[in-house]
Amino acid sequence: MKTPVSVLRLPRGPDPNSRGFDPNSPRFIALCPTTLSSSSSGRADEEEQRLRSDLRERFLRTLLSMTDKQVEFNMHEKVRVRARFGASDIDVLNFQVSDLETPLGVQREALLRSQDVISCSFEL
Amino acid sequence: MAMRQTPLTCSGHTRPVVDLAFSGITPYGYFLISACKDGKPMLRQGDTGDWIGTFLGHKGAVWGATLNKEATKAATAAADFTAKVWDAVTGDEVLTLAHKHIVKSVNFTQDSNFLLTGGNDKVLRIYDLNKPEAEPLEIAGHTSAIKKALWCNNDQQILSAADDKTIRLWDKNTKESVKTLSFEATVSSMEYIPDGEILVITYGRTIAFYNAHSLDLIKTVDAPASIHSASLHPDKDFFVAGGDDFKLYKYDYTTKEEMESYKGHFGPVHCVRFSPDGELYASGSEDGTLRLWQTAVGKTYGLWKCVLPEELSSENSEALYCPPAEIKA
Repeated sequence: MKTPVSVLRLPRGPDPNSRGFDPNSPRFIALCPTTLSSSSSGRADEEEQRLRSDLRERFLRTLLSMTDKQVEFNMHEKVRVRARFGASDIDVLNFQVSDLETPLGVQREALLRSQDVISCSFEL
Repeated sequence: MAMRQTPLTCSGHTRPVVDLAFSGITPYGYFLISACKDGKPMLRQGDTGDWIGTFLGHKGAVWGATLNKEATKAATAAADFTAKVWDAVTGDEVLTLAHKHIVKSVNFTQDSNFLLTGGNDKVLRIYDLNKPEAEPLEIAGHTSAIKKALWCNNDQQILSAADDKTIRLWDKNTKESVKTLSFEATVSSMEYIPDGEILVITYGRTIAFYNAHSLDLIKTVDAPASIHSASLHPDKDFFVAGGDDFKLYKYDYTTKEEMESYKGHFGPVHCVRFSPDGELYASGSEDGTLRLWQTAVGKTYGLWKCVLPEELSSENSEALYCPPAEIKA
């Protein structure tokens, strides 16, 4: 019977919490400009960047203010569910919710796939 | 002392893997991109299969994926009617190119300045990546969905395979068809080897080799089962093929003899490609996994370690992972 070839370890799989592309990898550090000023963009780009930062900040603050509130999620396939919003992961791939009201009953803890969510609403 | 092949399984995809491509050899090694019906193409380190990142953005199955030579850019073709260009270092989406139907194939020119796309709307499109808002050059002619489109002959010509059972060679400047090859069955895959100008085509159970300039037939080889994809080793001494019976076959290119066959996948093999250094080949399957296979079984390379029998029982063997004897792997 032939001996199987040995391996040092198995290939590393995806990180469930992020989309990868480690900014600390040698390739990233070598190939990506580390400062914004290294690009020769004009005033218009800076203004666009400022607007983008504002929008991003507003989005993140919205997520923060949703914490522990009752939120109604509008999802694909005409699904509407309510739950208490917990948190989002760093790439906004999943939302952690509690007491998710589903036709099958109330799910104490659940993860909602953010790509399935069309919109959500809550009271401030 | 003959050894048994230990394929390395790369998991992470949740649906069938339908396409894969390697980059060239870069100062950071070489890379592999996989297209999957789950809509999330992944980038991996080519020699180990280690996951580097997932390109997020497509809203449908990804049918085609490719990397440029330097592995700095990636392109993907999807069922959401778009082709996307990505920064392969940061994972960011750089460009979305809207199409009128499912896009199946994407291919960069050697200088990464142009992207060729092809899909179900039967039209080949050439995008100038330095002028992305400009309208692409269109080449029409195929009478059914395009499966694969590749640059060839120093990026001066284009090879396209479609469901109309033809492969056509086009001149990119005149946009005209230079030559057409007709087949009895739909072509399942196409690989272009610039060094040597060889075209590898699969259809039915056949793996066929053509001269990429003249489209003259060099040779054909028949496999025991329907083949979905084949790849020729850079040194042109062997080729590998995989298809419906879940196995990977290795053939001697010169003698056309079947040398080995490997079981491992739990579903039909959709794509197989040799790495740029020829030391391994990767296969993508309906079972949602990619597997890496050694060309020279037993050689120390990547995660595979050549171990002499005495070493297996010595103290140094703790770092080694010996796969358990599988039930008829």
